[in-house]
Amino acid sequence: MVLLQIQEPGGKPARPKHRLAVGIDLGTTNSLVAARCGLKVETLPDESGEHLLPSIVHYGSDGLISVGRKAKAFALTDPKNTLVSVKRMLGKGLTELRQLGHYLPYEFDATREDTAPAVLTHAGSKDPVAVSSDILSVLKARAERALKGELEGAVITVPAYFNDAQRQQTKEAAELAGINVLRLLNEPTAAAVAYGLDSADQGNIVVFDLGGGTFDVSLLSLTRGVFEVLSTGGDTNLGGDDFDRLLAAWLISQSGESAVVEGEALQLANELKHQLSDVEEVEFTMEDYQGSLSREQFAEIAKEPLSRAMMICRRSLRDARLGLDEIDNVVLVGGSTRMPLVRAAVAEFFGREPLTSIDPDKVVAVGAGIQADVLIGNKSDSDFLLLDVTPLSLGIETMGELVEKIIPRNTTIPVSRAQEFTTFKDGQTAMALHVLQGEREAVADCRSLARFTLRGIPSMVAGAAKIRVTFQVDADGLLSVSAEEIFTGVKSEIQVKPSYGLEAETIESILQASQENARADMELRSLQEAKVDAMQLIDAVAAAVIADPQLLEEGEEQRINEGVAALAAALENGSSAEVSDLTAALNRISGDFAARRMDVHISRALQGESI
Amino acid sequence: MQVPEDYFSLFSLERRFAIDKNALAANFRALQNENHPDRVAADDEQAKLLAVQKSSLLNDAYATLKSPLARAGYLLTLQGVDVEGVSQDDLDMAVLMEQMELREKVAEAPAGEAGLAVLLPIKRDIQSRIAAREQRFVANLEGDDLSSAKRVFHELQFLHKLFQEIEVNEEKRLGY
Repeated sequence: MVLLQIQEPGGKPARPKHRLAVGIDLGTTNSLVAARCGLKVETLPDESGEHLLPSIVHYGSDGLISVGRKAKAFALTDPKNTLVSVKRMLGKGLTELRQLGHYLPYEFDATREDTAPAVLTHAGSKDPVAVSSDILSVLKARAERALKGELEGAVITVPAYFNDAQRQQTKEAAELAGINVLRLLNEPTAAAVAYGLDSADQGNIVVFDLGGGTFDVSLLSLTRGVFEVLSTGGDTNLGGDDFDRLLAAWLISQSGESAVVEGEALQLANELKHQLSDVEEVEFTMEDYQGSLSREQFAEIAKEPLSRAMMICRRSLRDARLGLDEIDNVVLVGGSTRMPLVRAAVAEFFGREPLTSIDPDKVVAVGAGIQADVLIGNKSDSDFLLLDVTPLSLGIETMGELVEKIIPRNTTIPVSRAQEFTTFKDGQTAMALHVLQGEREAVADCRSLARFTLRGIPSMVAGAAKIRVTFQVDADGLLSVSAEEIFTGVKSEIQVKPSYGLEAETIESILQASQENARADMELRSLQEAKVDAMQLIDAVAAAVIADPQLLEEGEEQRINEGVAALAAALENGSSAEVSDLTAALNRISGDFAARRMDVHISRALQGESI
Repeated sequence: MQVPEDYFSLFSLERRFAIDKNALAANFRALQNENHPDRVAADDEQAKLLAVQKSSLLNDAYATLKSPLARAGYLLTLQGVDVEGVSQDDLDMAVLMEQMELREKVAEAPAGEAGLAVLLPIKRDIQSRIAAREQRFVANLEGDDLSSAKRVFHELQFLHKLFQEIEVNEEKRLGY
């Protein structure tokens, strides 16, 4: 998305010495912005001194858009117009969203069900990109006020596990808010940046990030200013909200109150969860019910999401080919890691106390701020670099509805990989390509990113055309795919656009091969190829007839000779298509004879005779 | 960054199977440091595109040399050997028997987490077989016996594949 650049009258303003760039942590529950203030990179507060901006937007009937704490107040009174945890909706279709079973008190825009899920609000239909953009605008304004200048760029963090569609939409939201995106940075990587530079650590680091809505674990190695992401794992639907939900369900079942509003139980659950971070046991009242909750009980209630998180840790270690004894540091990120039960589980699994010296809510924004400062060029002499990896495998659909992986997960990016495909029908001039993301083998189990058709393939026998499909993932983790027909040399490219769950089928970009100027060259080359094939076949058939005349059936030799003669004539002055067609015809005529020879030779070989 | 003769010279390494992994990693990081797109994040599109290409090449080269199997295949490719195609001559009956025996052992492991104790020694066994094959590969390559080297390479492919399958098997037993 290209934005209008509005120039002030009177020419360009003088460029400030220090270019203004910020790091933004666009979170599910809270968002933050951080920038260099003097020697340190710090998060920036709003006018009332608050650093955390709740990621909530309310669209009022009076046309007023409120973001953050003000919007939060409307969550109970006007839920239909108050959008919370919108990050979870990014890059998803409505059907998929409903399957995830989140609390969605919204009215969705029926006219846009096929594309992005959009919520009908007082301010009109709002999709997740527009809502995220409203949050980012507030952070941008906050930064420009605090830094007293115009922002030149921002590093925006995303969960390492975000897929292509989710990354694309995050970038779109930033651009909609008028923010120049320097880089999308994986959240755990940002956290390690914050710790790495502050404490000058060397070695292997685990970043355990349990936020409100998402869980990420990354393994990084840090050597002389270069971070290499060894592996990432996570779950876009695992976070503190799950603990709230489980606790709310427990509260409702304990009190036996069917009259309890789900939203109220959730709020109480959230309060109790926070209180348990400071005390061993809390008392509570819900309607008429009075009860108590201990840390131990809470640990039992929250067992499932916690063990799921530990399983993902185990897998990431394996992906990175690291043993537990090779881990030097464990970094905690995300407000949910304040829960003592989470800290205990992490310490037990990794066999060491995790680092907690930086506020787990701010650490990602601080890391992004450091990276933004480097990328905008304020620290050009820095020898600090981040090498990220692809979180999910990327591939293409092949025969039998299976996915052929072209770029496996945890490949260092940027990366470019090519694979050759061919036609499976004679005279096929188009090929449908289906780009997928995911780890499973079956197409149905992976996420469809895009479908497109390569047209203008020269008409050839099956298997003769060569189509090279190249996947390129840039440093932001965004994918573009290009397809090239090798005979014509024509190349076309698409950037894979975000798709929305099941509706992805409807996304179709067409690669029209504009092959006019290459056509003559192509005809010549394909004729030469066809002639080579034809001559090889004639030689092979002639040799076979001489070697095994006893295997020929009645009339077969004559049919074969006729086929050879026709093909030989076409070799003199035929077109590539004629030569190809007659080659295919001769292949069919001599096919049975060839099959009989094969059988005989194999049975001889099995009996120990040399061929 | 100059267009390199091969991946080894790109990282200032000698073209051979045994490499100094620390030197590889250090040279890779130094080159990425100079050529990564992040170095030109505030520049124009042309500079970014060029950086993406250079950086991709470095990542690909590093991944190829870092993995012993990919490195072995790459050394053969440099010698003009086609490692993609496998013909009957490339496979020894004894190798197929070895694979069958190892796979039978894996299949006999008891279900669930109890099987993990059985899989662990099989993995160690495969690792030592891989080490022995790598030595033979180096000897063949140095003795210019490319067809034997190719055979050993395919054997290594089999062993690495089996090793990976066992790891997936382990993951399933652990419930993910």
